[in-house]
Amino acid sequence: MSIEVKNINKSFEGKKSDKLSVLENINVHIDDGQLVCLLGPSGCGKTTLLRLIAGLDNPTSGEIVANGEVVEKPSGDRAVIFQQYSLFPWLTVLQNVTFGLEMTNKGNKAENIAAAERYLTSVGLIDFKDSYPHELSGGMKQRVAIIRSLLNHSPILLMDEPFSALDMQNRHKLQEQLIGVWKRFENTIVFVTHDVDEAVYLADKIVIMDKNPGRIVEIIEVDIERPRKRESEDFIKLQESIVDKLDMEE
Amino acid sequence: MFDNYKNKFVPLIIPIILIFFWYLITNGLGLFSSYILPGPLDVLNSARVVIENGKLLTNTVDTLFKVFAGLICASVVAIPCGILLGWYKTLEDLCTFVISVLRPIPPVAWIPFSILWFGIGTFPAVFIIFMGCVFPILVYTIDGVKRTDKVLVESAQTLGANDWNVLKRVVVPSAVPYIVSGLKVGIGIALMCTISAEMIGSSSGLGYMILTATNLFDTGTTVVGMLVIGLIGLAFDFVFTKAQDRIFW
Repeated sequence: MSIEVKNINKSFEGKKSDKLSVLENINVHIDDGQLVCLLGPSGCGKTTLLRLIAGLDNPTSGEIVANGEVVEKPSGDRAVIFQQYSLFPWLTVLQNVTFGLEMTNKGNKAENIAAAERYLTSVGLIDFKDSYPHELSGGMKQRVAIIRSLLNHSPILLMDEPFSALDMQNRHKLQEQLIGVWKRFENTIVFVTHDVDEAVYLADKIVIMDKNPGRIVEIIEVDIERPRKRESEDFIKLQESIVDKLDMEE
Repeated sequence: MFDNYKNKFVPLIIPIILIFFWYLITNGLGLFSSYILPGPLDVLNSARVVIENGKLLTNTVDTLFKVFAGLICASVVAIPCGILLGWYKTLEDLCTFVISVLRPIPPVAWIPFSILWFGIGTFPAVFIIFMGCVFPILVYTIDGVKRTDKVLVESAQTLGANDWNVLKRVVVPSAVPYIVSGLKVGIGIALMCTISAEMIGSSSGLGYMILTATNLFDTGTTVVGMLVIGLIGLAFDFVFTKAQDRIFW
């Protein structure tokens, strides 16, 4: 599913009724099956933009069109993976993962459980299917959250710095797994990050943003071949040029 | 292993000392006559009598019945209302004034009306207990619903849950620990209300037993009744603490 962000402005009511502008004149086109990173310093409105695409908030003006329909409220078509852990603490891993299928009445119960077990096996979490979220590590929780969205066949995945709380080793592993599932399921992914390395590793397209007010500085198409090597010349060069751009804005 | 024994023994030290002093100043030295302060031996003697003639059992069962009846009625009203009030802001704004005024009224202040409306017996007591429990359970439930993690609600929405499913599958389970706390507070209040209600508008129950025994200068039975109430409270506390341990979120 493609996403079209058209002339989006978003402001919040501040004190003394002066408006705080969070996003100004945002235009982005995201193709079906593309992996796009929103990159920028904290306060640049990247999370706000993601929430607008999800339908969790509404823009002050402008519109977002996903698959030909104007986004007005949250839908199972656009799954969000939050920065904070968002598994239901009272459900087991398996129950968490099948939650979306129950909500949308897709498939029968036995099939869903079989599919969930298959997905959990593929990321090495099958032994934890009857565990509760508080028994899992941070990386495991985020993997379960991703599987919960994938199993629901959400064509769009919206990810808000999902790996930022993890150590580097785990982060790299999950980035690699994410690329794996993305290739297999051909989802459209919008990935919010403030980590240049992460953006260059993952994205087809990087939307560089800056703050005060939140706006788009530049959109860069990344055509480095996959699987990407962090030590390759192209990778390092692109990374440096983006870091320069971010510094210039400061 | 010794630590284990130690932990079990430590809480008993003060009760044993208290009972010893109690024995010393009453049965031991005879400083007080038994109708002013009955000694442990008088209490044991009274306990034997009320156990043997079955009064203790029937009155305890009677009191427990009222406590549960009142608590169940209060829960049936307070939990669903609390969920709605916690979830729909407008509804809460509509009700908040009424709740704030009714809540501080001590349950025993309803005794005159409970007698006027329901006469003497089980119903007025159940009504008093209801009035005592309904507000704490309501307030705890509202609080629990409001404290639902926003991320969980939004996750459910982006997984395709409609409003009803968000309420049923996310908000209610997430409020359960708070509701259980509300019930725990409620049952403590229920026990207090029951005894007060039984002393005024009733002809059965532990409160009635305590009052009639005192009127007959049978203070040993009075103490038996008081101790049984304490033990019932202890048992409820134990059950709820166990329940809370099982709710880990």
